[in-house]
Amino acid sequence: MRWQRDLASWAVMLPGLVLFAFFIWQPLLEAIRLSLYEANGTRVVRFVGLDNYRFVLTQPDFWPAVGNTFLYLLWSLIIGFLLPIVMAIFIHESTRGKSLYRTAVYLPNIVPSLATVFLWRYIFKSDAYGGMNMLLGMLGVAPQNWLNDAGRVIPLIVVTMTWKGAGATSLLYLAGLQGISPELYEAAVIDGANVRQRIFHVALPQLYNLARTLLILQVIAVFQILYEPLVMTNGGPNNASVSLMQLVFRYAFEKFDYSRASAISVLISIVLITLTLVYNKVNREQDM
Amino acid sequence: MKKKHFVGAVRPYDLHNPRVRVGYALMTAICVVIALVAIMPVLWVLLSGFKELKEFNRGVKGTDNRYYLQLLPASFSLDGYLDTWNQMKYVRYYLNSLAVVAGSVVCAVLFNGLLAYGISRLKPRGWKVVWALIMGTLMVPATTSIVPLFINITRLGLGGSFLPLWMSMGASAFYVVLFKNFYDAMPGSLLEAARLDGCDHWQLFFRIVLPLSMPINIVIVIYAVNAAWSDFLLPYLVLGGTKLETVMVRLFTYRTSDRVNNMDIIRAIVFSIIPPIVLFIAFQRQITQNVISAGIKG
Repeated sequence: MRWQRDLASWAVMLPGLVLFAFFIWQPLLEAIRLSLYEANGTRVVRFVGLDNYRFVLTQPDFWPAVGNTFLYLLWSLIIGFLLPIVMAIFIHESTRGKSLYRTAVYLPNIVPSLATVFLWRYIFKSDAYGGMNMLLGMLGVAPQNWLNDAGRVIPLIVVTMTWKGAGATSLLYLAGLQGISPELYEAAVIDGANVRQRIFHVALPQLYNLARTLLILQVIAVFQILYEPLVMTNGGPNNASVSLMQLVFRYAFEKFDYSRASAISVLISIVLITLTLVYNKVNREQDM
Repeated sequence: MKKKHFVGAVRPYDLHNPRVRVGYALMTAICVVIALVAIMPVLWVLLSGFKELKEFNRGVKGTDNRYYLQLLPASFSLDGYLDTWNQMKYVRYYLNSLAVVAGSVVCAVLFNGLLAYGISRLKPRGWKVVWALIMGTLMVPATTSIVPLFINITRLGLGGSFLPLWMSMGASAFYVVLFKNFYDAMPGSLLEAARLDGCDHWQLFFRIVLPLSMPINIVIVIYAVNAAWSDFLLPYLVLGGTKLETVMVRLFTYRTSDRVNNMDIIRAIVFSIIPPIVLFIAFQRQITQNVISAGIKG
């Protein structure tokens, strides 16, 4: 019987489906519902329409958080997007120490993210014993203000993220470069291409699709930046590094205002889903 | 022999050109610097953990009676590490983390594997809906659901227990995609033969599919160990303030605590990165090769 077979198959998938429903799908729908209600702790009180959205949008910390989130995005593209590509090319071209470089650059990726931000909080401490200031001290330079400086804090947090992520990303690009047969380069040599031309016209085009995918993944990840500012600066100095996700954290777990927390997370999701859809559409048009 | 190592855009004969040689030397120098930047922070925190509080904050007194901060600790005695370990009762946090990791790995392989098996091989009517939902899940930011999820867990009285942390690893869209890709490529004849021998779906999965999927199982185990060890937001919400706090939850509570001194935090950082580093050294090849190729395909 077909329906009996189907039933037995669904039984196999049931445990997984229940977990997805409990941990992801139901909470997602619940977040949308919660954002439209007034809640007292975890108890829903009454439907208030878009009031929660109106409230969070008019708070003094909302637009700075939006601006900061886009600054994180901008800096992460400036510092973090091209670096892994350059690293991959350099490691690929190296004739000696290749496996040593690979191991070294991958090391930061296995440091848990929470440990990474604590570690870098110490590196960027403004006291003389902070890692960077210690290094400067050895060179005879006076201690600097790092994370306490509103103009520097976002790029410095992005440096931390890049330190953790760039190595693993560069190994992805490296895998792409290894797929290029050396004969292609030889053919380019015969055509009279110099080293720079060979990199730009033979190597880089092979990385184009991967770079496109990693770009959108990076945008999605950075848009949700939370624990870097949470741990390194707690959003400071003076909200100069507070991110959108951090507002969710503040509403939910410091003010216990779950409805308004949900309102912001729904807004974030809408932005990201729109971005992904636009990206997919553009991609499809380009591929045709 | 040496010629074989030139696999990129620079060919061996290019090095006869002095300009290429300068560029190549510069590139090697940059590679060394990048490797150092990658390693130094970890090395710095490991070395700092040996220092005493005063030595860390002020440095060591030089012959001119001034204090100098230096990279290397005055002594490599493990007493400082042991003090923090005992005072902060790290044995308990390690055991808790171990319990979280072990349960999470089992759930990650079992539940995502079964679901992917259904989608990939059984394909009951309606499977496409499930697949679309899972692919959609990949697109939605995971952090959106954390608040309602936390409320659900509290309502069910599951706060202060490992159970929700274990189970949450059984619902990973990324792992399902990886498993499905692997199962899709499995030869159907094997499964068909076992089915004719009278195996039902469950026996087929546990006796044939799971044992034959070792390469992908290993990848998922490595991912899940890492994720379960490093996760702190859900563990903090579920376990915070109980006796079941993990190493990461402990570290996270240092975020705002003023009473903890620098050395205890530095050593807490070290305690949280030692297990992953040991695993990395032990499984370096599998991690830098398998995991990456799986990541690309997935």
